[in-house]
Amino acid sequence: MEKDLNQIRNIGISAHIDSGKTTLTERILYYTNRIYAIHDVKGKDGVGATMDSMELEKERGITIASAATFCEWRNHQVNIIDTPGHVDFTIEVERSLRVLDGAILVLCSVGGVQSQSITVDLQMKRYKVPCIAFINKCDRSGANPFRVIKQLRDKLNHNAVAMQMPIGLEADLQGVVDIVAMQAIYFDGENGEDLRVDDIPDNMLQEAEGLREALIDAASMYSDDLMEAALEGEVTQELLLQAIRTGTLSRKLTPVFMGSAYKNKGVQPLLDAVNDLLPCPSDVDNQALDMKNNETQITLASDASKSPVALAFKLEDGQYGQLTYIRVYQGTISKGDTIVNARTGKKTKVGRLVRMHADQMEDINSIPAGYIGALFGIDCASGDTFTDRDNRLSMTSMYVPEPVISLAIVPKDNKAQTNMSKALNRFTKEDPTFRTYVNQETGDTIISGMGELHLEVYIERMRREYAADVDTGMPRVAYRETITRKAEFNYTHKKQTGGAGQFGRVAGYIEPADNDEFEFVNSVTGGSIPTQFIASCKKGFKSCLVKGPKMEFPVTGIRIVIDDGASHAVDSSEMAFQAAARGAFREGYAKARPVIHEPIMKVVVESPTEFQGNVMGSLNQRRGIILGSQDEGVMCVIEAQVPLAEMFGYSTVLRSSTQGKAQFTMEFNTYRQVPQSIAEDLVKKAQEGKKNVA
Amino acid sequence: MTLTDYASALDRQSAVVQKQSRPACPAEIINLRERNFIMLKKDLILRNPLRLLGQENQDILPEGGIGAVLARAGVGKTALMVQLALDTLLREKNVLHVSLNDPVDKVRLWHKEVFHNLAEQYNLSQINQLWDSILPKRFIMTFKVEGFSVPKLEERLRDLTEQDIFKPQMIIIDGFPFEGSVEEPLQQLKEFSSRHGLRIWFSVRTHRHEDPGPGGIPPQLSNIDGLFNVILQLLPEGKKVHVRVLKGADSTADYPELLLDPATMLISPQSK
Repeated sequence: MEKDLNQIRNIGISAHIDSGKTTLTERILYYTNRIYAIHDVKGKDGVGATMDSMELEKERGITIASAATFCEWRNHQVNIIDTPGHVDFTIEVERSLRVLDGAILVLCSVGGVQSQSITVDLQMKRYKVPCIAFINKCDRSGANPFRVIKQLRDKLNHNAVAMQMPIGLEADLQGVVDIVAMQAIYFDGENGEDLRVDDIPDNMLQEAEGLREALIDAASMYSDDLMEAALEGEVTQELLLQAIRTGTLSRKLTPVFMGSAYKNKGVQPLLDAVNDLLPCPSDVDNQALDMKNNETQITLASDASKSPVALAFKLEDGQYGQLTYIRVYQGTISKGDTIVNARTGKKTKVGRLVRMHADQMEDINSIPAGYIGALFGIDCASGDTFTDRDNRLSMTSMYVPEPVISLAIVPKDNKAQTNMSKALNRFTKEDPTFRTYVNQETGDTIISGMGELHLEVYIERMRREYAADVDTGMPRVAYRETITRKAEFNYTHKKQTGGAGQFGRVAGYIEPADNDEFEFVNSVTGGSIPTQFIASCKKGFKSCLVKGPKMEFPVTGIRIVIDDGASHAVDSSEMAFQAAARGAFREGYAKARPVIHEPIMKVVVESPTEFQGNVMGSLNQRRGIILGSQDEGVMCVIEAQVPLAEMFGYSTVLRSSTQGKAQFTMEFNTYRQVPQSIAEDLVKKAQEGKKNVA
Repeated sequence: MTLTDYASALDRQSAVVQKQSRPACPAEIINLRERNFIMLKKDLILRNPLRLLGQENQDILPEGGIGAVLARAGVGKTALMVQLALDTLLREKNVLHVSLNDPVDKVRLWHKEVFHNLAEQYNLSQINQLWDSILPKRFIMTFKVEGFSVPKLEERLRDLTEQDIFKPQMIIIDGFPFEGSVEEPLQQLKEFSSRHGLRIWFSVRTHRHEDPGPGGIPPQLSNIDGLFNVILQLLPEGKKVHVRVLKGADSTADYPELLLDPATMLISPQSK
């Protein structure tokens, strides 16, 4: 499998839901001879796309887990990760981008830059992944790739330049004009596999020349040679591509390609662009932290002969045990090597090494730097770094968002109980945004995640893959408590009921803090609380934060300052001060006007204009603040902030009020105070809940 | 005029506003918890230099009136319009911001930036709470220039008002194409404005190469200036941007001239 590093591309395909990522991947695999027949997502043949290997993915026509595959195109090896588009599975996208060197941003020629495209773009920025754009679905009615390029500039601030222009549009889409080589490309044959190169149609020549001029203008910013050549009127194709590549790698230029994956148009030139414009592993600077040396940053060299550094970015539990996807950044990992997990220090011998192609695998002997592969039989967590015995390097970890929604699940019978715990164990290991715990009071198992669909998919997988039938409770929103003003406390804990007494006094104040974290400040002077008990005070306060006194939601965003207290030579103990701190917290908290905060989601609905009123009405009924509406011709985009608690079941409501023609995305935006009337309801419900438990 | 004069001018204005806002009913219940917050809002309204353009009543434009902000590209039309919007929002009136150029996100960013600059200038605390309180009173609508028409705007507004989602009291239209024949749509908008008791502000882009007509009115508005109740112009001179009143508003010499600070994009009175 070893090739020159310059001929390796690790790329991802990411985009908004239903932009055609999986369809594009299917075509890429077909043209690179990895598969010999094309199956469409939710296609009539019922087979489903190759990359959507999970039964649930095929049924719903969505990608849930990112799948890895590889192919060869014109002597280059391209490793591809197809990622989910739905925002609930955002961690899959984060994980893939972390280990990729470049990406294809797929956009719909009708929908343009949609809400999830913005999220994906942010993620690419976070991991500094260079990208090229592909405007898909140019065969759909209302297609306008140049409007999308404008949106790329306006909405995403990309320096987007057209590399192609479509020949015909909508149903009349015939091919594309390559602006670099100044030729027309048609896609003949049953599946568009035969490329026919021809002269640019006369009526398009002038426009193509204009676009080429704009392209040269934009690219010459990144190459002095090109600038000179342009002035002398001798621009060669190689020179132009080299300059565009430099701009793309520095993320200052986004070349835009177009076509229709479904209609087999424009995919091969896109693959050429992947080879020509996206980075090879050695083009990218990868950093690791030296754990032995005070976490200093060091740059890794994509050199197969150096000591190995690899990152486990995804885990999967299959029938042969845990499959760990790794990306090797430096050195080589071979069969029989001993590798060390930098986090735990645990040594492991490498057993089986494989290369993945969706759900099928191919055994290999080694994974050199720059490659993506998978290990069998290694116990680790997602995000762990593997090195050899001499080094202790850690790749910086990935950003993991906090879950916003939780749900109680109850197994239907004993068998389901055992299977459920097996399933939960696997899911939590695979997906850091999916968490589970047992509620001490009710004994319910609670699962939490990034959205309704996220949890729904896991429950369905539990049923299908583990035969664990569960009943689900009402989804529970992750409310929080906080205080709104400063309040003082002065609490004495005194107990004299036989045996050793308990005494401790804690005084100070409690106030709102700007960030969400708990802050503890010790301003005690003169030893009124002996130093050895300060930690107990902090512990006592901290124990109160798990469950707020008002509604038993976690308390966040407070600062506690202690400035006075008293102790007793005999009766004061760590326990006494912990109890005093708990009492002090209750005293101060009650006076500090506690309020409940709820998660507010940014909801973006895309709907045909005629249903705009209905959509706005439905959002308004849900305590939503409509921020604005954007008229995009036949479609309109409505943005709103809506409390998560009101969004349950919204997809059904939206479908019925728009004849199924609208779609929406939702992501966490902020926490905001719950209105008084709703807060009262919550308090009432909590009290009833307590009664039932009693 | 010196700064002291300006201060006393503001005091006079404040007295007028306070007198007007005094409740008719003798006993008003003041929620002590809310008082600070309400006072903060009032303070911000009174200190707004735009007040200097206002008539005896609180708005620069009369009910049913339309106004225009003229300037060359990039001078600060949107910034001034956003300040007009924020001032209205702080007075608890609903504002619809219609943009024919920018996407919703960009308009939102404009509002946020100007608000934060404003809050910073006056060292306001409780910024977030204040921002949250005005957010439900604002609605942003964007159209493509070619897709915008008065009947379409009316239809969209009907969607909102019939379901009691949003009823604007002021509309800002940014990016309305004044090139070509605009008399008919403007006439329609003026009728619409008076029918619903609205106040509508337009931004008008002027061009360097075009000489203004009598009264400083640019050629685009020469035939239709009668429709406008107020016309303001932003005029860059050196590093300063002057706010000139070409028509309407209380532009008597009692008050200092206003400037638009290019750094913060905020309006401030000229100190001599």
